Amino acid sequence: MTTAGSPAITVSKLRKSYKDLVAVDGISFEAYHGEILGILGPNGSGKTTTLKSILGLITFDSGEVTALGMDARKRSRRILRETGAVLEGARNIYWHLSPLENLVYFAGLKGLSKQDILERADMLLEQLGLNEVRDKEVRQFSKGMKQKVALACAFIHDPILLLLDEPTLGLDVEISRQMRDWLRESVMERERSILVTSHNMDFIESVCDRVLIIKEGRILSHETLESLKLRFASKTLVLELDRDPGSECLNGLAEVGQVTSDTQGDSCQLRIVLDDPMGLHAVTGALAEADSVIRDFRTEEKDLEEIFLSMIREEEQPCES
Amino acid sequence: MLGWELKRYLFNTGAMLVVMYLIFLGMFWGVKSIGGADVETSSLDSMVIGYILWMSAMFSLQGTGSVVLSESQRGTLEQIYLSPLGADMIFFFKSVTSTLFNFLLLTFMLYLTMFTTGRVLSVNLLYFYPMLFISVLSLNGIGFMLGGIGLIHKRIGAVNGILSFGLIGLMLLRVYPLNGFSFIPFLAGAHTINAHIVHGTSFPPWWYVFVAGNSLFYLAMGLLLFRVFEKRAKKLNKMGQY
Repeated sequence: MTTAGSPAITVSKLRKSYKDLVAVDGISFEAYHGEILGILGPNGSGKTTTLKSILGLITFDSGEVTALGMDARKRSRRILRETGAVLEGARNIYWHLSPLENLVYFAGLKGLSKQDILERADMLLEQLGLNEVRDKEVRQFSKGMKQKVALACAFIHDPILLLLDEPTLGLDVEISRQMRDWLRESVMERERSILVTSHNMDFIESVCDRVLIIKEGRILSHETLESLKLRFASKTLVLELDRDPGSECLNGLAEVGQVTSDTQGDSCQLRIVLDDPMGLHAVTGALAEADSVIRDFRTEEKDLEEIFLSMIREEEQPCES
Repeated sequence: MLGWELKRYLFNTGAMLVVMYLIFLGMFWGVKSIGGADVETSSLDSMVIGYILWMSAMFSLQGTGSVVLSESQRGTLEQIYLSPLGADMIFFFKSVTSTLFNFLLLTFMLYLTMFTTGRVLSVNLLYFYPMLFISVLSLNGIGFMLGGIGLIHKRIGAVNGILSFGLIGLMLLRVYPLNGFSFIPFLAGAHTINAHIVHGTSFPPWWYVFVAGNSLFYLAMGLLLFRVFEKRAKKLNKMGQY
Protein backbone atom coordinates (compact mmCIF):
# COMPACT_ATOMS: atom_id res chain seq x y z
CA MET A 1 0.00 0.00 0.00
CA THR A 2 2.93 2.37 0.60
CA THR A 3 5.06 1.51 -2.41
CA ALA A 4 6.75 4.56 -3.88
CA GLY A 5 4.88 5.74 -6.92
CA SER A 6 1.57 4.15 -5.98
CA PRO A 7 -1.31 6.55 -5.38
CA ALA A 8 -1.69 7.69 -1.78
CA ILE A 9 -4.55 10.06 -2.56
CA THR A 10 -6.91 9.97 -5.50
CA VAL A 11 -9.27 12.86 -6.02
CA SER A 12 -11.83 12.39 -8.75
CA LYS A 13 -14.22 15.08 -10.02
CA LEU A 14 -14.30 16.77 -6.63
CA ARG A 15 -16.84 19.55 -6.45
CA LYS A 16 -17.80 21.87 -3.62
CA SER A 17 -19.95 24.96 -3.76
CA TYR A 18 -21.43 27.41 -1.27
CA LYS A 19 -24.72 28.69 -2.66
CA ASP A 20 -23.68 30.39 -5.92
CA LEU A 21 -19.96 30.25 -5.28
CA VAL A 22 -18.16 27.26 -6.73
CA ALA A 23 -15.08 26.68 -4.56
CA VAL A 24 -13.88 23.50 -6.25
CA ASP A 25 -15.13 22.69 -9.71
CA GLY A 26 -14.74 19.00 -10.47
CA ILE A 27 -10.99 18.64 -10.03
CA SER A 28 -9.17 15.34 -10.36
CA PHE A 29 -5.61 14.47 -9.41
CA GLU A 30 -3.46 11.91 -7.66
CA ALA A 31 -0.75 12.23 -5.05
CA TYR A 32 1.75 9.41 -4.84
CA HIS A 33 3.69 7.75 -2.07
CA GLY A 34 7.22 9.07 -1.79
CA GLU A 35 6.50 12.48 -3.28
CA ILE A 36 5.61 15.99 -2.27
CA LEU A 37 2.81 17.52 -4.29
CA GLY A 38 2.49 21.28 -4.20
CA ILE A 39 -0.80 23.05 -4.72
CA LEU A 40 -0.50 26.59 -5.99
CA GLY A 41 -3.25 29.05 -6.60
CA PRO A 42 -4.33 32.57 -5.79
CA ASN A 43 -6.47 33.30 -2.74
CA GLY A 44 -9.88 31.69 -3.02
CA SER A 45 -8.78 29.25 -5.70
CA GLY A 46 -9.92 26.19 -3.73
CA LYS A 47 -6.61 24.94 -2.30
CA THR A 48 -7.70 24.78 1.32
CA THR A 49 -11.16 23.46 0.42
CA THR A 50 -9.48 20.61 -1.46
CA LEU A 51 -7.25 19.77 1.50
CA LYS A 52 -10.11 19.91 3.98
CA SER A 53 -12.30 17.77 1.74
CA ILE A 54 -9.63 15.09 1.74
CA LEU A 55 -9.44 15.31 5.54
CA GLY A 56 -13.22 15.11 5.95
CA LEU A 57 -13.45 18.57 7.52
CA ILE A 58 -15.64 19.74 4.66
CA THR A 59 -18.49 17.76 3.17
CA PHE A 60 -18.10 17.97 -0.58
CA ASP A 61 -21.04 17.99 -3.01
CA SER A 62 -19.90 15.33 -5.43
CA GLY A 63 -16.90 13.36 -6.61
CA GLU A 64 -14.72 10.75 -4.96
CA VAL A 65 -11.77 11.03 -2.61
CA THR A 66 -9.69 7.97 -1.85
CA ALA A 67 -6.84 8.02 0.62
CA LEU A 68 -4.57 5.02 1.27
CA GLY A 69 -6.97 2.98 -0.82
CA MET A 70 -9.98 3.85 1.34
CA ASP A 71 -13.03 5.94 0.63
CA ALA A 72 -12.55 9.19 2.54
CA ARG A 73 -16.26 9.48 3.26
CA LYS A 74 -16.74 5.97 4.62
CA ARG A 75 -13.41 5.26 6.30
CA SER A 76 -12.38 8.69 7.49
CA ARG A 77 -11.39 7.58 11.01
CA ARG A 78 -9.17 4.83 9.67
CA ILE A 79 -7.53 7.29 7.27
CA LEU A 80 -7.02 9.86 10.02
CA ARG A 81 -4.94 7.35 11.98
CA GLU A 82 -2.34 7.59 9.23
CA THR A 83 -2.74 11.28 8.51
CA GLY A 84 -1.25 14.43 9.95
CA ALA A 85 -2.15 17.99 9.04
CA VAL A 86 -1.21 21.58 9.74
CA LEU A 87 -4.11 23.76 8.68
CA GLU A 88 -3.85 27.00 10.57
CA GLY A 89 -0.13 27.14 11.03
CA ALA A 90 1.03 28.24 14.44
CA ARG A 91 -2.59 28.43 15.66
CA ASN A 92 -2.90 24.65 15.38
CA ILE A 93 -1.25 24.12 18.74
CA TYR A 94 -1.87 25.14 22.35
CA TRP A 95 0.20 28.20 23.15
CA HIS A 96 -0.19 27.82 26.89
CA LEU A 97 1.47 24.41 26.81
CA SER A 98 5.08 23.45 26.15
CA PRO A 99 6.20 21.69 22.93
CA LEU A 100 6.47 18.39 24.82
CA GLU A 101 3.00 18.79 26.36
CA ASN A 102 1.58 19.60 22.93
CA LEU A 103 3.17 16.48 21.49
CA VAL A 104 1.87 14.28 24.28
CA TYR A 105 -1.61 15.78 23.97
CA PHE A 106 -1.84 15.39 20.20
CA ALA A 107 -0.48 11.86 20.42
CA GLY A 108 -3.35 11.17 22.83
CA LEU A 109 -5.81 12.54 20.28
CA LYS A 110 -4.40 10.07 17.81
CA GLY A 111 -5.03 7.29 20.30
CA LEU A 112 -1.43 6.78 21.45
CA SER A 113 -0.29 6.63 25.06
CA LYS A 114 2.40 8.83 26.56
CA GLN A 115 4.80 5.87 26.86
CA ASP A 116 4.38 5.07 23.17
CA ILE A 117 5.41 8.46 21.95
CA LEU A 118 8.08 9.77 24.31
CA GLU A 119 10.89 8.36 22.20
CA ARG A 120 9.38 9.79 19.03
CA ALA A 121 8.73 13.14 20.72
CA ASP A 122 12.40 13.29 21.72
CA MET A 123 13.44 12.56 18.15
CA LEU A 124 11.13 15.20 16.63
CA LEU A 125 12.16 17.86 19.15
CA GLU A 126 15.79 17.12 18.40
CA GLN A 127 15.36 17.10 14.61
CA LEU A 128 13.43 20.36 14.57
CA GLY A 129 15.80 22.11 16.95
CA LEU A 130 13.25 22.40 19.74
CA ASN A 131 14.98 20.30 22.36
CA GLU A 132 16.29 23.18 24.43
CA VAL A 133 12.85 24.78 24.65
CA ARG A 134 10.87 21.57 25.06
CA ASP A 135 9.46 22.60 28.44
CA LYS A 136 8.91 26.28 27.77
CA GLU A 137 5.52 27.78 27.07
CA VAL A 138 4.91 27.97 23.30
CA ARG A 139 3.44 31.46 23.73
CA GLN A 140 6.97 32.81 24.18
CA PHE A 141 8.17 31.45 20.83
CA SER A 142 8.62 33.20 17.50
CA LYS A 143 6.15 32.38 14.74
CA GLY A 144 8.68 30.10 13.06
CA MET A 145 9.24 28.13 16.25
CA LYS A 146 5.51 27.77 16.80
CA GLN A 147 5.17 26.53 13.24
CA LYS A 148 7.83 23.94 13.92
CA VAL A 149 5.94 22.74 16.99
CA ALA A 150 2.77 22.46 14.86
CA LEU A 151 4.69 20.42 12.31
CA ALA A 152 6.11 18.16 15.02
CA CYS A 153 2.59 17.57 16.35
CA ALA A 154 1.39 16.62 12.87
CA PHE A 155 4.24 14.09 12.69
CA ILE A 156 3.93 12.68 16.21
CA HIS A 157 2.07 9.51 15.22
CA ASP A 158 4.39 8.83 12.30
CA PRO A 159 1.74 9.39 9.62
CA ILE A 160 1.93 8.26 6.03
CA LEU A 161 -0.07 11.20 4.69
CA LEU A 162 0.74 14.81 5.51
CA LEU A 163 -1.41 17.72 4.45
CA LEU A 164 0.10 21.12 5.06
CA ASP A 165 -1.74 24.35 4.38
CA GLU A 166 0.61 27.31 4.03
CA PRO A 167 3.29 25.86 6.35
CA THR A 168 5.76 28.66 5.61
CA LEU A 169 3.40 31.59 5.97
CA GLY A 170 5.22 34.37 7.78
CA LEU A 171 8.42 32.39 8.27
CA ASP A 172 11.87 33.78 7.65
CA VAL A 173 14.14 32.34 4.96
CA GLU A 174 16.26 30.30 7.36
CA ILE A 175 13.35 28.51 9.03
CA SER A 176 11.67 27.94 5.65
CA ARG A 177 14.88 26.32 4.45
CA GLN A 178 15.12 24.10 7.56
CA MET A 179 11.51 23.07 7.10
CA ARG A 180 12.08 22.30 3.44
CA ASP A 181 15.10 20.09 4.20
CA TRP A 182 13.27 18.32 6.97
CA LEU A 183 10.21 17.62 4.83
CA ARG A 184 12.36 16.25 2.01
CA GLU A 185 14.16 13.93 4.40
CA SER A 186 10.98 12.74 6.04
CA VAL A 187 9.22 11.99 2.78
CA MET A 188 11.99 9.59 1.90
CA GLU A 189 11.96 8.00 5.33
CA ARG A 190 8.61 6.21 5.08
CA GLU A 191 7.54 6.74 1.46
CA ARG A 192 5.24 9.39 2.80
CA SER A 193 2.98 11.45 0.64
CA ILE A 194 2.86 15.16 1.39
CA LEU A 195 0.41 17.67 -0.03
CA VAL A 196 1.45 21.22 0.56
CA THR A 197 -0.14 24.52 -0.35
CA SER A 198 1.93 27.67 -0.21
CA HIS A 199 2.30 31.13 -1.63
CA ASN A 200 6.04 30.78 -1.18
CA MET A 201 7.15 29.87 -4.71
CA ASP A 202 10.77 29.28 -3.70
CA PHE A 203 9.62 26.84 -1.05
CA ILE A 204 7.33 24.99 -3.47
CA GLU A 205 9.98 24.96 -6.16
CA SER A 206 12.62 23.57 -3.84
CA VAL A 207 10.54 21.01 -2.00
CA CYS A 208 7.90 19.65 -4.42
CA ASP A 209 8.18 16.91 -7.01
CA ARG A 210 5.03 17.95 -8.79
CA VAL A 211 2.87 21.01 -8.80
CA LEU A 212 -0.85 21.47 -9.20
CA ILE A 213 -1.88 24.94 -10.25
CA ILE A 214 -5.50 25.78 -9.61
CA LYS A 215 -7.63 28.83 -10.17
CA GLU A 216 -11.29 29.34 -9.39
CA GLY A 217 -11.58 25.71 -8.38
CA ARG A 218 -10.22 24.34 -11.63
CA ILE A 219 -6.88 22.80 -12.48
CA LEU A 220 -4.72 24.83 -14.84
CA SER A 221 -1.74 22.54 -14.70
CA HIS A 222 -0.81 19.24 -13.10
CA GLU A 223 2.70 18.10 -13.87
CA THR A 224 6.25 17.82 -12.62
CA LEU A 225 8.25 20.97 -12.08
CA GLU A 226 10.65 19.91 -14.81
CA SER A 227 7.98 19.46 -17.46
CA LEU A 228 6.26 22.65 -16.38
CA LYS A 229 9.47 24.58 -16.78
CA LEU A 230 10.25 22.87 -20.04
CA ARG A 231 6.83 23.71 -21.39
CA PHE A 232 7.26 27.38 -20.62
CA ALA A 233 10.98 27.62 -21.20
CA SER A 234 10.66 26.35 -24.76
CA LYS A 235 8.42 29.21 -25.68
CA THR A 236 10.85 32.12 -25.29
CA LEU A 237 13.88 32.16 -27.54
CA VAL A 238 16.66 34.69 -27.01
CA LEU A 239 19.00 35.23 -29.99
CA GLU A 240 22.21 37.27 -30.06
CA LEU A 241 22.75 38.57 -33.62
CA ASP A 242 25.74 40.28 -35.23
CA ARG A 243 23.53 43.13 -36.46
CA ASP A 244 19.99 44.47 -36.58
CA PRO A 245 18.07 42.30 -39.10
CA GLY A 246 15.95 45.24 -40.26
CA SER A 247 12.30 46.13 -39.91
CA GLU A 248 11.19 44.00 -42.86
CA CYS A 249 12.63 40.88 -41.23
CA LEU A 250 11.16 41.81 -37.84
CA ASN A 251 7.73 42.30 -39.38
CA GLY A 252 8.01 38.87 -40.93
CA LEU A 253 9.04 37.33 -37.58
CA ALA A 254 6.04 38.94 -35.87
CA GLU A 255 3.90 36.41 -37.73
CA VAL A 256 5.73 33.59 -35.93
CA GLY A 257 5.44 35.08 -32.45
CA GLN A 258 5.82 38.14 -30.29
CA VAL A 259 9.18 39.79 -31.12
CA THR A 260 11.18 42.42 -29.28
CA SER A 261 14.63 43.62 -30.38
CA ASP A 262 17.34 45.56 -28.64
CA THR A 263 20.15 46.88 -30.83
CA GLN A 264 23.33 48.18 -29.22
CA GLY A 265 26.19 49.10 -31.52
CA ASP A 266 27.01 46.17 -33.77
CA SER A 267 24.99 43.60 -31.89
CA CYS A 268 21.29 42.97 -31.56
CA GLN A 269 19.31 40.86 -29.11
CA LEU A 270 16.05 39.33 -30.31
CA ARG A 271 13.48 37.87 -27.94
CA ILE A 272 10.83 35.80 -29.66
CA VAL A 273 7.94 34.22 -27.80
CA LEU A 274 7.08 31.37 -30.14
CA ASP A 275 3.45 30.40 -30.47
CA ASP A 276 4.56 27.11 -31.96
CA PRO A 277 8.02 25.49 -31.58
CA MET A 278 7.91 24.71 -35.32
CA GLY A 279 8.21 28.45 -35.88
CA LEU A 280 11.93 28.13 -35.10
CA HIS A 281 12.55 27.03 -38.68
CA ALA A 282 10.91 30.19 -40.03
CA VAL A 283 13.00 32.33 -37.63
CA THR A 284 16.34 30.95 -38.80
CA GLY A 285 15.22 31.19 -42.46
CA ALA A 286 14.17 34.84 -42.10
CA LEU A 287 17.41 35.78 -40.33
CA ALA A 288 19.50 34.06 -43.01
CA GLU A 289 17.62 35.98 -45.66
CA ALA A 290 18.36 39.24 -43.81
CA ASP A 291 22.09 38.25 -43.58
CA SER A 292 22.00 38.29 -39.79
CA VAL A 293 24.33 35.80 -38.17
CA ILE A 294 23.24 34.12 -34.92
CA ARG A 295 26.18 34.46 -32.53
CA ASP A 296 24.49 32.85 -29.57
CA PHE A 297 21.08 31.61 -28.51
CA ARG A 298 19.29 30.34 -25.43
CA THR A 299 15.83 29.45 -24.29
CA GLU A 300 14.67 31.54 -21.40
CA GLU A 301 13.81 29.59 -18.28
CA LYS A 302 11.09 31.05 -16.15
CA ASP A 303 11.04 30.41 -12.46
CA LEU A 304 7.94 28.95 -10.89
CA GLU A 305 6.64 32.33 -9.87
CA GLU A 306 6.73 33.61 -13.45
CA ILE A 307 5.15 30.42 -14.73
CA PHE A 308 2.46 30.62 -12.09
CA LEU A 309 1.70 34.25 -12.80
CA SER A 310 1.62 33.79 -16.55
CA MET A 311 -0.66 30.78 -16.20
CA ILE A 312 -3.00 32.64 -13.94
CA ARG A 313 -3.05 35.57 -16.33
CA GLU A 314 -3.46 33.50 -19.43
CA GLU A 315 -6.18 31.35 -17.85
CA GLU A 316 -5.30 28.36 -19.93
CA GLN A 317 -7.93 25.74 -20.47
CA PRO A 318 -8.14 23.37 -17.52
CA CYS A 319 -6.49 20.05 -18.09
CA GLU A 320 -7.78 17.00 -16.26
CA SER A 321 -5.37 14.21 -15.65
CA MET B 1 -4.51 18.98 29.71
CA LEU B 2 -6.46 20.12 32.74
CA GLY B 3 -3.58 19.07 34.98
CA TRP B 4 -1.02 20.96 32.89
CA GLU B 5 -3.22 24.05 32.89
CA LEU B 6 -3.72 23.98 36.65
CA LYS B 7 0.00 23.56 37.19
CA ARG B 8 1.06 26.20 34.68
CA TYR B 9 -1.39 28.78 35.97
CA LEU B 10 -0.62 28.11 39.59
CA PHE B 11 -1.59 31.60 40.74
CA ASN B 12 -4.97 31.36 39.01
CA THR B 13 -5.53 27.87 40.41
CA GLY B 14 -4.66 29.08 43.89
CA ALA B 15 -6.96 32.10 43.58
CA MET B 16 -9.80 29.86 42.39
CA LEU B 17 -9.36 27.55 45.38
CA VAL B 18 -9.20 30.45 47.83
CA VAL B 19 -12.36 32.05 46.40
CA MET B 20 -14.20 28.73 46.55
CA TYR B 21 -13.06 28.22 50.14
CA LEU B 22 -14.19 31.72 51.11
CA ILE B 23 -17.61 31.10 49.58
CA PHE B 24 -18.01 27.95 51.66
CA LEU B 25 -16.79 29.76 54.77
CA GLY B 26 -19.19 32.60 54.03
CA MET B 27 -22.06 30.15 53.84
CA PHE B 28 -21.14 28.35 57.06
CA TRP B 29 -20.52 31.49 59.14
CA GLY B 30 -23.00 33.69 57.29
CA VAL B 31 -25.99 31.53 58.17
CA LYS B 32 -24.89 31.39 61.78
CA SER B 33 -24.31 35.13 62.13
CA ILE B 34 -27.55 36.10 60.34
CA GLY B 35 -29.78 33.43 61.81
CA GLY B 36 -28.14 33.25 65.22
CA ALA B 37 -27.15 30.19 67.18
CA ASP B 38 -30.57 28.63 66.97
CA VAL B 39 -30.60 28.55 63.18
CA GLU B 40 -31.79 25.21 61.91
CA THR B 41 -29.11 22.82 60.71
CA SER B 42 -31.28 22.01 57.70
CA SER B 43 -31.04 25.63 56.43
CA LEU B 44 -27.29 25.44 56.25
CA ASP B 45 -27.39 21.95 54.76
CA SER B 46 -29.87 23.09 52.15
CA MET B 47 -27.81 26.12 51.22
CA VAL B 48 -24.54 24.21 50.89
CA ILE B 49 -26.14 21.38 48.93
CA GLY B 50 -27.88 23.94 46.72
CA TYR B 51 -24.60 25.68 46.07
CA ILE B 52 -22.82 22.45 45.15
CA LEU B 53 -25.72 21.47 42.91
CA TRP B 54 -25.67 24.83 41.15
CA MET B 55 -21.87 24.85 40.69
CA SER B 56 -21.91 21.31 39.31
CA ALA B 57 -24.80 22.23 37.04
CA MET B 58 -22.95 25.26 35.69
CA PHE B 59 -19.78 23.30 35.04
CA SER B 60 -21.73 20.63 33.17
CA LEU B 61 -23.90 23.04 31.25
CA GLN B 62 -21.01 25.15 30.05
CA GLY B 63 -18.65 22.21 29.53
CA THR B 64 -18.88 21.29 25.87
CA GLY B 65 -20.02 24.70 24.69
CA SER B 66 -17.08 26.48 26.23
CA VAL B 67 -14.63 23.81 25.05
CA VAL B 68 -15.88 24.15 21.46
CA LEU B 69 -15.71 27.91 21.76
CA SER B 70 -12.20 28.02 23.18
CA GLU B 71 -10.87 25.43 20.70
CA SER B 72 -12.43 27.41 17.90
CA GLN B 73 -10.88 30.66 19.12
CA ARG B 74 -7.48 29.07 19.49
CA GLY B 75 -7.58 27.46 16.05
CA THR B 76 -7.27 23.93 17.40
CA LEU B 77 -10.83 22.78 16.75
CA GLU B 78 -9.99 21.22 13.40
CA GLN B 79 -7.14 19.28 14.99
CA ILE B 80 -9.66 17.66 17.33
CA TYR B 81 -11.71 16.72 14.29
CA LEU B 82 -8.63 15.07 12.83
CA SER B 83 -8.54 12.59 15.67
CA PRO B 84 -9.55 9.04 14.78
CA LEU B 85 -11.22 8.83 18.21
CA GLY B 86 -14.01 11.12 17.00
CA ALA B 87 -14.58 14.68 18.16
CA ASP B 88 -17.85 13.86 19.94
CA MET B 89 -16.13 11.20 22.04
CA ILE B 90 -13.31 13.59 22.88
CA PHE B 91 -15.74 16.31 23.92
CA PHE B 92 -17.77 13.79 25.92
CA PHE B 93 -14.66 12.54 27.69
CA LYS B 94 -13.53 16.11 28.40
CA SER B 95 -16.96 16.98 29.73
CA VAL B 96 -17.18 13.96 32.04
CA THR B 97 -13.59 14.41 33.25
CA SER B 98 -14.27 18.04 33.99
CA THR B 99 -17.48 17.14 35.88
CA LEU B 100 -15.69 14.55 38.01
CA PHE B 101 -12.81 16.90 38.69
CA ASN B 102 -15.22 19.58 39.85
CA PHE B 103 -16.97 17.07 42.12
CA LEU B 104 -13.63 16.30 43.72
CA LEU B 105 -12.78 19.96 44.09
CA LEU B 106 -16.12 20.82 45.66
CA THR B 107 -15.88 17.85 48.04
CA PHE B 108 -12.41 18.87 49.12
CA MET B 109 -13.58 22.41 49.76
CA LEU B 110 -16.63 21.21 51.63
CA TYR B 111 -14.57 19.04 53.99
CA LEU B 112 -11.92 21.69 54.42
CA THR B 113 -14.61 24.16 55.45
CA MET B 114 -16.22 21.66 57.83
CA PHE B 115 -12.81 21.02 59.39
CA THR B 116 -12.13 24.77 59.73
CA THR B 117 -15.51 25.71 61.18
CA GLY B 118 -16.01 22.59 63.21
CA ARG B 119 -19.52 22.35 61.88
CA VAL B 120 -20.43 19.07 60.24
CA LEU B 121 -23.04 18.58 57.53
CA SER B 122 -24.99 15.37 57.56
CA VAL B 123 -24.41 14.47 53.90
CA ASN B 124 -24.55 10.89 52.72
CA LEU B 125 -21.90 11.09 50.01
CA LEU B 126 -22.68 7.59 48.74
CA TYR B 127 -26.14 8.85 47.87
CA PHE B 128 -25.18 12.38 46.91
CA TYR B 129 -22.49 11.83 44.28
CA PRO B 130 -24.06 9.03 42.22
CA MET B 131 -27.32 11.00 42.14
CA LEU B 132 -25.54 14.23 41.27
CA PHE B 133 -23.53 12.54 38.52
CA ILE B 134 -26.65 11.00 36.97
CA SER B 135 -28.54 14.29 37.24
CA VAL B 136 -25.90 16.51 35.64
CA LEU B 137 -25.65 14.19 32.62
CA SER B 138 -28.79 15.92 31.34
CA LEU B 139 -26.93 19.22 31.48
CA ASN B 140 -23.97 17.66 29.73
CA GLY B 141 -26.50 16.90 26.98
CA ILE B 142 -27.63 20.53 26.92
CA GLY B 143 -23.94 21.48 26.87
CA PHE B 144 -23.53 19.35 23.75
CA MET B 145 -26.45 21.14 22.10
CA LEU B 146 -24.81 24.47 22.92
CA GLY B 147 -21.50 23.13 21.65
CA GLY B 148 -23.17 22.17 18.39
CA ILE B 149 -24.65 25.63 18.02
CA GLY B 150 -21.20 27.00 18.85
CA LEU B 151 -19.69 25.08 15.92
CA ILE B 152 -21.78 27.16 13.57
CA HIS B 153 -22.46 30.43 15.34
CA LYS B 154 -19.26 30.57 17.43
CA ARG B 155 -20.39 33.22 19.91
CA ILE B 156 -22.65 31.51 22.43
CA GLY B 157 -21.38 33.07 25.65
CA ALA B 158 -24.62 35.00 26.20
CA VAL B 159 -26.78 31.87 25.86
CA ASN B 160 -24.48 30.04 28.27
CA GLY B 161 -24.84 32.83 30.82
CA ILE B 162 -28.62 33.07 30.52
CA LEU B 163 -29.03 29.32 30.93
CA SER B 164 -26.65 29.11 33.89
CA PHE B 165 -28.37 31.82 35.88
CA GLY B 166 -31.83 30.87 34.64
CA LEU B 167 -31.18 27.51 36.21
CA ILE B 168 -31.22 29.07 39.69
CA GLY B 169 -34.77 30.27 39.11
CA LEU B 170 -35.85 26.99 37.57
CA MET B 171 -34.57 25.07 40.58
CA LEU B 172 -37.28 26.74 42.66
CA LEU B 173 -40.03 25.07 40.60
CA ARG B 174 -42.04 22.25 42.12
CA VAL B 175 -41.19 19.07 40.21
CA TYR B 176 -42.54 16.37 42.53
CA PRO B 177 -45.11 14.79 42.25
CA LEU B 178 -44.64 14.36 38.52
CA ASN B 179 -45.80 17.35 36.48
CA GLY B 180 -44.75 19.28 33.39
CA PHE B 181 -41.80 20.93 35.14
CA SER B 182 -40.42 17.49 36.07
CA PHE B 183 -39.38 17.03 32.45
CA ILE B 184 -37.04 20.04 32.47
CA PRO B 185 -33.46 18.75 32.52
CA PHE B 186 -31.71 18.44 35.89
CA LEU B 187 -34.62 19.75 38.00
CA ALA B 188 -35.98 16.35 39.03
CA GLY B 189 -32.54 15.15 40.08
CA ALA B 190 -31.67 18.36 41.93
CA HIS B 191 -34.97 18.30 43.82
CA THR B 192 -34.52 14.64 44.75
CA ILE B 193 -31.01 15.21 46.11
CA ASN B 194 -31.99 18.25 48.12
CA ALA B 195 -35.20 16.79 49.52
CA HIS B 196 -33.62 13.46 50.44
CA ILE B 197 -30.41 14.77 51.99
CA VAL B 198 -31.78 17.82 53.74
CA HIS B 199 -35.27 16.68 54.73
CA GLY B 200 -34.90 12.90 54.52
CA THR B 201 -37.73 12.62 51.99
CA SER B 202 -38.14 9.17 50.45
CA PHE B 203 -39.00 8.65 46.80
CA PRO B 204 -40.47 5.58 45.11
CA PRO B 205 -38.17 3.52 42.85
CA TRP B 206 -40.02 4.61 39.67
CA TRP B 207 -39.06 8.23 40.45
CA TYR B 208 -35.36 7.32 40.40
CA VAL B 209 -35.90 5.55 37.08
CA PHE B 210 -37.58 8.71 35.84
CA VAL B 211 -34.64 10.89 36.99
CA ALA B 212 -32.12 8.62 35.25
CA GLY B 213 -34.29 8.38 32.13
CA ASN B 214 -34.66 12.15 32.00
CA SER B 215 -30.89 12.59 32.18
CA LEU B 216 -30.10 9.95 29.61
CA PHE B 217 -32.76 11.33 27.27
CA TYR B 218 -31.23 14.82 27.30
CA LEU B 219 -27.73 13.42 27.00
CA ALA B 220 -28.73 11.34 23.97
CA MET B 221 -30.57 14.31 22.44
CA GLY B 222 -27.54 16.50 23.03
CA LEU B 223 -25.21 14.06 21.34
CA LEU B 224 -27.62 13.62 18.45
CA LEU B 225 -28.08 17.34 17.91
CA PHE B 226 -24.35 17.88 18.22
CA ARG B 227 -23.88 15.51 15.29
CA VAL B 228 -26.54 17.31 13.29
CA PHE B 229 -24.80 20.67 13.86
CA GLU B 230 -21.45 19.07 13.16
CA LYS B 231 -22.70 17.87 9.76
CA ARG B 232 -24.03 21.33 9.02
CA ALA B 233 -20.74 22.94 10.06
CA LYS B 234 -18.85 20.61 7.74
CA LYS B 235 -21.18 21.43 4.89
CA LEU B 236 -20.77 25.17 5.47
CA ASN B 237 -17.02 24.92 6.13
CA LYS B 238 -17.38 26.46 9.57
CA MET B 239 -14.94 24.28 11.49
CA GLY B 240 -11.90 26.46 11.14
CA GLN B 241 -13.53 29.85 11.09
CA TYR B 242 -13.94 32.06 14.09
